[in-house]
Amino acid sequence: MKQMRQETIRRIISLVLLVVLTIIFTLTTDTFLSWDNITSMLREAAFIGIIAIGITLCIITGGNNLSGGLALGMVCMVFAHLYHYTSMSLLGIVLVCLAAGLISGVFNGFVVSVLQINDFIATLSTGMIFQGITYILAVRNQYGSITSEMIKNPTIQSLGGKFSNGIYYVTIAWLIMTLIAQILLKKTKIGTYIYAMGSKRTSAEYSGISFIKIKMTVFIIAGFCSFVGAMFMLGRMGTCDVETGAALSLQAVSASVIGGAVFSGGRGDMIGTLIGVLFMQVLRNGVLKFNMTTAQQAIISGIIIVLMLVFDAYYNEFMQKRATRAAAIAREKEGR
Amino acid sequence: MSEKREVLFEMKNIEKIFSHVHALDHVNFDVRKGEVHALLGENGAGKSTLIKILTGVYKKDGGQIFMDGKEIEINSREDAANAGIAVIFQELSLIPTLSVYQNILLGKEISKFGFISDRAEKKQIQDLIDNYGFPVKATDIVETLSVAQKQMVEILKALATDAKLIIMDEPTASLSSRESELLFKIINQLREKEVSIIYISHRLEEVFNLSDRITILRDGKNAGVIEKEDIVPSEVVKMMIGKEVSESTASRELKTSNAENVLEVKNLTHLGYFNDVSFEVKKGEVLVLTGLVGSGRTEVVRSIYGADPYDSGEILFEGKPIKPTVRRSVANGFGLIPEDRRTQGFSPLLSVTKNVALTNYDKLAKSGFVKKADEDEIGKKAVSLTDLRPANPNVRVGDLSGGNQQKAVLGKWLTRDLKVILIDEPTVGIDIGAKDEIYNIIEGLAQQGVAVLMVSSDIAEVLHVAHRILVMREGRIIKEFNDGVATQEDILLASSGFVENQEVA
Amino acid sequence: MSEMTKKNPVLKILLGNSRLIVLLIMVVVFTLLTGGKFFSYKNLVNILYAVSLYGIMITGASFAVLLGGIDRTVSGNAALSGAIVAMTILNRGVGGGNVALAIFLGLGAGALSGLIHGLILSRFNIPAFLLTLATNEVLYGIVQYVTGNQLIYIRDCALMDYIGQVRWLGIPIPVYIMIVCVIISYIVLNHTVYGRQVYSVGGNRISSELSGVPARRDILIAYIVSGITGALAGFVLSSMNQQASSTQAKNYENDVLAAIVVGGVSMRGGAGTIQGAILGAFLIGVIGNGMTLIGIDAIYHNMIKGLIIIFAISIDMASVPGTPLNNFFRRFKQKKTA
Repeated sequence: MKQMRQETIRRIISLVLLVVLTIIFTLTTDTFLSWDNITSMLREAAFIGIIAIGITLCIITGGNNLSGGLALGMVCMVFAHLYHYTSMSLLGIVLVCLAAGLISGVFNGFVVSVLQINDFIATLSTGMIFQGITYILAVRNQYGSITSEMIKNPTIQSLGGKFSNGIYYVTIAWLIMTLIAQILLKKTKIGTYIYAMGSKRTSAEYSGISFIKIKMTVFIIAGFCSFVGAMFMLGRMGTCDVETGAALSLQAVSASVIGGAVFSGGRGDMIGTLIGVLFMQVLRNGVLKFNMTTAQQAIISGIIIVLMLVFDAYYNEFMQKRATRAAAIAREKEGR
Repeated sequence: MSEKREVLFEMKNIEKIFSHVHALDHVNFDVRKGEVHALLGENGAGKSTLIKILTGVYKKDGGQIFMDGKEIEINSREDAANAGIAVIFQELSLIPTLSVYQNILLGKEISKFGFISDRAEKKQIQDLIDNYGFPVKATDIVETLSVAQKQMVEILKALATDAKLIIMDEPTASLSSRESELLFKIINQLREKEVSIIYISHRLEEVFNLSDRITILRDGKNAGVIEKEDIVPSEVVKMMIGKEVSESTASRELKTSNAENVLEVKNLTHLGYFNDVSFEVKKGEVLVLTGLVGSGRTEVVRSIYGADPYDSGEILFEGKPIKPTVRRSVANGFGLIPEDRRTQGFSPLLSVTKNVALTNYDKLAKSGFVKKADEDEIGKKAVSLTDLRPANPNVRVGDLSGGNQQKAVLGKWLTRDLKVILIDEPTVGIDIGAKDEIYNIIEGLAQQGVAVLMVSSDIAEVLHVAHRILVMREGRIIKEFNDGVATQEDILLASSGFVENQEVA
Repeated sequence: MSEMTKKNPVLKILLGNSRLIVLLIMVVVFTLLTGGKFFSYKNLVNILYAVSLYGIMITGASFAVLLGGIDRTVSGNAALSGAIVAMTILNRGVGGGNVALAIFLGLGAGALSGLIHGLILSRFNIPAFLLTLATNEVLYGIVQYVTGNQLIYIRDCALMDYIGQVRWLGIPIPVYIMIVCVIISYIVLNHTVYGRQVYSVGGNRISSELSGVPARRDILIAYIVSGITGALAGFVLSSMNQQASSTQAKNYENDVLAAIVVGGVSMRGGAGTIQGAILGAFLIGVIGNGMTLIGIDAIYHNMIKGLIIIFAISIDMASVPGTPLNNFFRRFKQKKTA
């Protein structure tokens, strides 16, 4: 009696959701499947997607990361601050930004693994701290109030550009990062350890895998994702303010959940997250194309997440019950 | 298997002392190459302490350990693994969402620059599997495997580290008989490949069939070593029990009382857990369900209490059929002392009073409001009824010693008007003084007319408190001791499956 | 010292509650730093005013935390109830401007939301944090939908004006509402069977269920209570502001969470008190207010709150054996004694 694994079912569900939504929008609007719309959707999706890569890794270790978007905002502001107030070279500024992204990851990793604070609360709090830093660094006008800073550097601006076929650089960056992360998960030692840690921590530790090291690794990767996302965000917007990136975390978490990452850990991958990100973006696109309000969008994505959570919990319970029952019946039939 | 092979592993004069008590007293133990060596002894004889020393969980307080003739020190799990010693865990140590080969090579991947060579890994592990002919594939995901298959993966994991000595602790406890047969076949294969095995099991039948040699421990001392050809079941059992045990715990005079039945169980069945179980508990009687761990005793008790379901059969309380749920049982005057008090018995952060009062609010606070004075009264009552120490009902239960924690759990029910109490392994991990006090409490309950149904694996304990004894094996009641004298030997033989007649009058 | 504490009950209370000491020190420090401005009547009322809202939410949300869960929908419930109350009073949709009906519908919406959360969380093993994070978004989505994303001004509602403007003995009405909520919660937690069961189930659900405690019902009730107090806070907030908006009370759940953990309620459930949680709310309120007064920009507040939460939970976790922090402290102690 071969049973379908949780991953498989979740993959099917996420694909069906994506396809159904796409069909609805294609049938009800004229422009949905136009090349222009597709490339611009893929550009917006890329920002959610880059953050979601880090978040998915954190979820697979059995945790979460609610601070990814705010870390992105902080890195943007570090750039704007240095750009406005100092005469540092572009390379110098970018290196400082890279350091800021990585440090945000180390800090998250420290709080989660060394202080052993529940990932949700930990990253919620660190997110508040990152947001605080963003405000502190914010560029101000001569009256002392916060203004949004225009970044007029051509190199950075060029990051917002696109290829001649209309596909934006950021989309390609996102796809490459997704591919690298997928290879990391499936083909490397670290990837195996990430799954092992999330699936059964005690056994993983018994095999000599360090909880602290794995948590640090995924959060540092998440920090790096925030850095990359920030650079492209600056290129895309040409400006940055204190709200930049704030909304991304939740969309990225939603994308991961819809894509099949399971919160008890050990399951999910980058392909699923890719599907989840596309779903979230198609839904967002419906706001523009279908006159759907952001309210409706929030309600729909929220309810889908709740249903996914309930499904995971119910599925686990059901499978466990079935397995114990099957084992019991086997014992009964064959003797003990 | 009659030729004497050379010795692989040896422990000499091992000592272990826990707070002035000799858990192991100059124990000697050796394993030959390619030998299945069983380690026997009753609970508390020192088997698990010995195993923990040789796997590096405990540090020995004296003696020497040799591997291949060289003296070694085992201070950690790593030391044990490096010496070629591996344990097959009852609590499986596998990662459910990873494949078989990933599990076996976890932490020891075949890799270049951190990139895993999947093909090489799969091949290596599939070769290993094929070499032994195990019915699993290297690419199977562990969570889709049966318990027996998972155990095979554990064994493969040990073999992949070139373990020379594999320890199996109750490996058949959760296997069906067909799966057990397969395991025995695997053990024989291992033996042929010169791997040595330390085999621990309560199931004497399989021990006698499987082992080349048996070492018996009793009270932390060597009680004997027997070669396969010299095994006589009743002799082995005698060695396990010892001859010099005091009269009071060696046997017991049983008597069926003629009081009315309080609890009757008729043909109760929960498929795969217990089957066609029937008995009755009379007013003021202590009925003990004994047998091996996993024989279905706990499950029977939990089903009677309403904590688990059952498939068929009938439960009668005071002559009327009942469909138990936990809340109904409590209202009917049932109480349960659960198997694992730490996870099921009490709220560690709350005081004795608040733990005890929890079962009493139906009487104590009918309006829904609690009067502190009434509550304190109950707390004090529980402390005095159980002689709980420190005699302070405001101490948090989590801060008490094991014995006093159990008294607090007993206090939950002693303070109520009880009709039936179900007690599951009440004295595991409790020191001797507190044990006696708990026995006295149980006896006291019986004298007050409470029907006591108790589960216990400790034969001395069974004989100390029982008015009547039922022995369960593989989910069925295999033997009843109603009247006359029951001895340790009788019970041990019945539990292990050496029983001819069903009923002893 | 024990001699002294026996004689002096005030000292005993102080020594038994480090948070109270910290709060008093904060008050003194801010008073000195601001040249007394902090301790002015006007400012103290400001603090009370701000804390009262969190306080009302905390009285319900603490039940969820004590049971080992968490409820982040306090803010969404507040926004929803504010919107429903406003719409009913302004006679848009149902109701016809009846205040009693408005309050009933507002609190009822909170109770319904709590019921749904309770049904899911008492039945399934789902992280409450994530579930309520998602549903809070749904609630705000519903509020946007209901209000059409418009600010709704509430005029000519005598009761709400009264709650928002009038002071008894110089203290705003919402403070009294908070006090009533705190007293009720205190009584429920300390003097009723339900309260006893909350602590017991939070400490060990299995043992409680085996003792005949209906744990699922208890969890269900906790989320309903939390929903109602969230809704009540929303009603009070609308009364204070004379309006309802689709962003009403947004992010309040973070402050509520901070106050509860700073107040010593364990995120693992089963330990903590309502008075502690309220004290936590005052601590956070005082720190926020004091920092503003001595000129620390509001932009630092979030950051400091984040650090406070991490610090408070670290202390809680350091008492759990086996955690790195616990090992560290134990090694440190051993070195000291050695």
